[in-house]
Amino acid sequence: MSDMATPRFQRTANRFRRGSACALGALALWAHVAHADDTATPKSAQQQAQSWADIARLPDFWQGTWQSISPIADDFSTPPDYTPSARDYIQHYKPAEDSPFTNCKPLGMPFVQNIGGMPMKFFQSPGMIALYIESSGMTRFIHTDGRQHTEQPNPSYLGESIGHWEGDTLVVDTTGLDRDTVFQMGRDQRALVQGDHSPIAGVIFGPHGPNLRIVERMRLVDFNTLEIQTTLFDDTVFNQPYALPARRFIRGIERRNEPQEWACTDNRDYLDPVTGKLELNVKDKAENR
Amino acid sequence: MDDAEHAAPTYGKQAFMINMQRRTVRPWKLAVVALAALWTQAVDAHHSFGKFDMTKLVTVSGTVREWTWANPHTWLIVIVKKANGTTEQWALVGSSPNMMSRWGWNAADIKVGDKVVVDIHPGRDGTAIGSLQTVFLNNGKVLADPAGSTGQALAGGPSQLPTKPQGQPYK
Repeated sequence: MSDMATPRFQRTANRFRRGSACALGALALWAHVAHADDTATPKSAQQQAQSWADIARLPDFWQGTWQSISPIADDFSTPPDYTPSARDYIQHYKPAEDSPFTNCKPLGMPFVQNIGGMPMKFFQSPGMIALYIESSGMTRFIHTDGRQHTEQPNPSYLGESIGHWEGDTLVVDTTGLDRDTVFQMGRDQRALVQGDHSPIAGVIFGPHGPNLRIVERMRLVDFNTLEIQTTLFDDTVFNQPYALPARRFIRGIERRNEPQEWACTDNRDYLDPVTGKLELNVKDKAENR
Repeated sequence: MDDAEHAAPTYGKQAFMINMQRRTVRPWKLAVVALAALWTQAVDAHHSFGKFDMTKLVTVSGTVREWTWANPHTWLIVIVKKANGTTEQWALVGSSPNMMSRWGWNAADIKVGDKVVVDIHPGRDGTAIGSLQTVFLNNGKVLADPAGSTGQALAGGPSQLPTKPQGQPYK
């Protein structure tokens, strides 16, 4: 998807550089077409009041925040039906001494939902649910206005998310993910029996395909417990969609559990390009961001 | 974790300090906590534990040279005077300020020039680096790093705090 988008942008850029009148004309036409697609009309006060009333009847995801109580890594205890290329990748996978967290780049979906340590918070307004994930300082925007996915969403770290309610379950469908998002492809179970306490011991991180689609089913188990069950659709990795076990979150309503700002400004971990090992820059502040 | 903690409506600095003084901790309890920290799934994975020997606990004492309250990690740089008269600079990495603030830390708790005693998990490579576990301030305040805690403990706040350093003294 993103591969296909690049040449078009390059072509447009090249034309623009040449500065021909023809190119400017084409650009103007293009801009016109883009706008024609975007015909939103404001809701009346009455319609808006009705939307808020509808929202009020939904399951209460909204009070307080949610802290992950599940392990960071997914355990992949049911072996996925891997594609040959994924199988090959896993066979040759050498776990890095560390993890993909050696810079301030966002983790992105799906792993941003795994990381925990800090709470997340749901907000809602008519047509949209926002999910602030403190551990990356980022907010997922989940459209609940009944729209379909755009044909070719621009790649982003959190993707394009569309949600709908099936009874008391919020089903969130996400596409349009940047190739750089952190993706757990599997887990080497052998690495786990050695008593390694690292939360990402045995995790096999790998590239996902451009058409990775993530479907999350979010529901309250009880007032204090939220469950998110995620299914991964990626035919470059799995022959069949892979359903992960549900992750659980506990509600925190105390002030200490309120969401906070999280900005990555001073990361001193880096991977040594020569040895491939994780090092700490303990001499200079924030040399490697 | 303590249910009463979960129900507490606020968890300000005052409450934190009062709770701390009230608690006495038996060594076996600390051992249980240490084991739990090792065997439960650690939650702060921004932080790689690969560099540090999490089975070792060392106590370093010194003067604060730098205290950086920033994400993804806090950094406490301490000048340690050794028994032989030489000095060493120790670089100690802590959790995210977000997690620490929920466990009663405040950026203003530590200042350059402060004398501190710190329990750390030392670097595996023998260099002067460490992963913070507990900081003992001159004013008696004890601050525990939440790294490696369960989600329940992170949401509930620390329930077990040592009153004195637990590590092997570094000389």
